[in-house]
Amino acid sequence: MAVETEEGMLVRVQQENFSIDQELERIRTRSTLIGGIAMFLGTARDRSKGHDVSSMTFEHYEGMAQKKLKEIRERALQDFDILEALVLHRYGPIQIGENIVLIIIGAEHRADAFKACQWCIDELKKITPIWKMEYTPEGDVWVEEHP
Amino acid sequence: MVHVRLFGMLKTLVAGANSFELSLPEGSQVKDLVDSVQVQYPDLGELLLQKKVVVSVNQEIAHWETALVESDEIALLPPFAGGA
Repeated sequence: MAVETEEGMLVRVQQENFSIDQELERIRTRSTLIGGIAMFLGTARDRSKGHDVSSMTFEHYEGMAQKKLKEIRERALQDFDILEALVLHRYGPIQIGENIVLIIIGAEHRADAFKACQWCIDELKKITPIWKMEYTPEGDVWVEEHP
Repeated sequence: MVHVRLFGMLKTLVAGANSFELSLPEGSQVKDLVDSVQVQYPDLGELLLQKKVVVSVNQEIAHWETALVESDEIALLPPFAGGA
């Protein structure tokens, strides 16, 4: 198994679940200047566009998805007054209530942490090649639009 | 001959295939690939024309004038749906 660099651990696309505590600690220990941490956690819900959803599967474009998440982290570090950023997304089958995506931003102060966190999840949805199939009583549906 | 990868719902338009091969003349651009897709897979071609599906070349979003060579990694990408 390849040894992951600490920087590599801050941008991941992985099948297995992640520990929010561990990831939070990863950001917290990156700098003693951090005074505010903002987090967005996306989880799997059982309703979508008026339909029941029993579970879902995420597909990603291996290589390009990682590249785009890395770009998002680098642009966030460049464009906002923040100290560290972590961007994780899961792929494969995910059950209702499970974690899907995690953004954690460490900054000196809250304002930029919040701003960068929102920007990262919005940008992730726009530019990252990841697709979702939802399993519903009416059949399997590829989610096409996702505001 | 170029190899074109498919993701998400696009696979359902090509009988469940993950990819297909296309024969393109040397010096072709993405717009030539789109023309060729329209002929072989009209439903897929329509989505490309409507810009609902984008083409990536070597893991970057391509323009219609992007030049193609046989070794390029080409993929057709439907609208993204990451996040939660």
